[in-house]
Amino acid sequence: MHAALKRHGVWMIAWGLLSLLGAVLLARNALQQEREAFETNARIAHRLLSQQVVQHDAVLATLALLDANDDSAHPEQRLPSVYPHMLSVQRRARAVLWPDAHLQTLDAQSRQLGHGLLVQTDFAQGRYELMLGALPASYLLKIDIRSMVPWREWPMAPNQGPVRVALVYGGQAFDLQPGRQVPADAPGWHFDFHKVLASPSQPFEMVAQRHVAWGELPWLWMLAWSVLAAALLRMMWVLVRQRDDRHRAEELLRLGQVARLNTLGELAAGMAHELNQPLTAVLANTQAASRLLDDDAPDMQAVRHAMTQAVGQSRRAAEVVGRLRRLVEQPASTQPLQAVSLGDAARKSLYLMEPELKRQQVVVTLKASDVPCWVLADAVALDQIVHNLLMNAAQAMQTTSKAERRLTVAVEPTHSQARLLVQDQGPGIPAEALSRIFEPFFTTREGGLGLGLSLCETLAMGMGGTLSAKNRTPHGAEFCLTLPLAEPTAAAL
Amino acid sequence: MNMPLSPLIHLIDDDDAVRDSLALLIGTVGLRVQTWRDPQVFLAEFDRQSIGVIVLDVRMPGISGLTVLDQLKSQGADQPVIMLTGHGNVDLCRRAFKSGAAEFLEKPVNDELLLETLQNGVRLHVQSRQRVEGDRQARARYAQLSEREREVLGLIVAGLTNKEMGRVLSVSPRTVETHRANLFDKLEAESLAQLIRQYAALVDEQATP
Repeated sequence: MHAALKRHGVWMIAWGLLSLLGAVLLARNALQQEREAFETNARIAHRLLSQQVVQHDAVLATLALLDANDDSAHPEQRLPSVYPHMLSVQRRARAVLWPDAHLQTLDAQSRQLGHGLLVQTDFAQGRYELMLGALPASYLLKIDIRSMVPWREWPMAPNQGPVRVALVYGGQAFDLQPGRQVPADAPGWHFDFHKVLASPSQPFEMVAQRHVAWGELPWLWMLAWSVLAAALLRMMWVLVRQRDDRHRAEELLRLGQVARLNTLGELAAGMAHELNQPLTAVLANTQAASRLLDDDAPDMQAVRHAMTQAVGQSRRAAEVVGRLRRLVEQPASTQPLQAVSLGDAARKSLYLMEPELKRQQVVVTLKASDVPCWVLADAVALDQIVHNLLMNAAQAMQTTSKAERRLTVAVEPTHSQARLLVQDQGPGIPAEALSRIFEPFFTTREGGLGLGLSLCETLAMGMGGTLSAKNRTPHGAEFCLTLPLAEPTAAAL
Repeated sequence: MNMPLSPLIHLIDDDDAVRDSLALLIGTVGLRVQTWRDPQVFLAEFDRQSIGVIVLDVRMPGISGLTVLDQLKSQGADQPVIMLTGHGNVDLCRRAFKSGAAEFLEKPVNDELLLETLQNGVRLHVQSRQRVEGDRQARARYAQLSEREREVLGLIVAGLTNKEMGRVLSVSPRTVETHRANLFDKLEAESLAQLIRQYAALVDEQATP
């Protein structure tokens, strides 16, 4: 776990930050939406309640006006049956006094102010009384708060909603809807709305409150975002790793080539020394003998000794060559052959060489069916052969014009074998070189060792296959690697 | 002249067959050969006074021929050194010449080339020894001169006549003539040209220590 943290630390931190940032934005957005909805609803509620209380004023004023004409009819007595929230209406003609002095005083004040006045508010019961002092008669209206609310137009669900709505007046409060009960210091966010109703006669304050708890944040969305972020980062990680892997593979390939060259150089130096020592002795001995024989009286003893030495040193040289062969020669069939997809081997080599081919502006065509063509081969040896053939083809086209640099690799099964063809558009193989091209140390290239194709042929034969070369018309060369199929019958029939 | 009787070739190679065969080959032209199997023993024991050439194999176990060459040169050995190698390349060759090798030959080496190179080396070494010897003798003679004679020699080399020298040294031309005669005697010079050729460098050396 610790190691994993160390290895993926940056990615973990990035994921954490991304998740946190997303969560904060989501929460902010959600809170913003909640607040807007709350304020809209509160405003609507305030408007509805204001309309309602203004209506009370209008009803009383209308009654007072009607009263001037007709003293006997009592239309006010029919009001409670029309408006259920108007519990009762009392009328006092000018001459009749209110039963108590308080009412009498209010009557006078109301008449003076020209609008209604609250007589008493009983929020515990959900009721209040409104008085309008007028001539010829004054009216006292008793109202039930709960039934005055136009619930049909109400913007919130009265009983389940989280918002508390109340009317507050003179230290009393009446809850129109209870909302969710929370202590004032509960963690979370508090929204508040205070506004006095738009009626001078009933100056109740409408209070709306909403509490958003931590639990109400959009946790599911946040979680989803976090998972999404993890998936995105993982995808990026895979891409980055693929790129790194590819770089590494290229680097390894390059290093391998350098190492091979170094080894080869060392081998050549060692071989030169090992062979040059006996050759030096042979040459010196024979030349000394020949000089001795030129003397007037040759010292035959010395001559014989020199010749014996020369013979011994020649044998020594032969032994060096033999030892070298035994050292380098790999015993045949040490590598067990296995089923290898010829197409995949070609794809892999092309993939590894892609940067090199791109640099040389070689256009590559791979003709291989999607059905894998399984051959019996040593995977490493096969890779080496294909890689060598591709390298040769690319190098052969260095003098070809850029538009003509086409390399075709084809994989085709025949009866019991499969062929891999590598075709280039280079100048082709000179006729006199064609028969010698697989000989060791034979090369047409300046600075070439002449071992690549020779090695490829040896490897191909070691796997029971063949490697051949021919020229194409009008120009270019074609190398053909043939290997036995892993399951000859299946592919051939 | 303290010269050994005949030149001596030092041959250093760890390979017995190579060493013996090359020694045999070199012996056919009458050169004396001393063979060494171990470069360290050679460095410790060989006669630095001998006239001759050193033939060194580049590739030897334990110590490289180039290292031996560097040590020889830093110890002041004046014998020409011929390097032998089985796999010469430009780099190795350059290093050898930079370290003061006289020749760089590749194995297997052709007899004529090797023998000619050796004889050339011997000739060069003899000449260089003679030059050194002559120089040493000239210094010994020069040391015998008196202060006044050295002054006169300096003026002769500068190309002044007797009269002019007399003026410079505030003596009579006759006295100058005497010094001059003594000086020719002591330095064993037969002509003015020989005197100047042999001693001009020494005079310059004394004038600017």
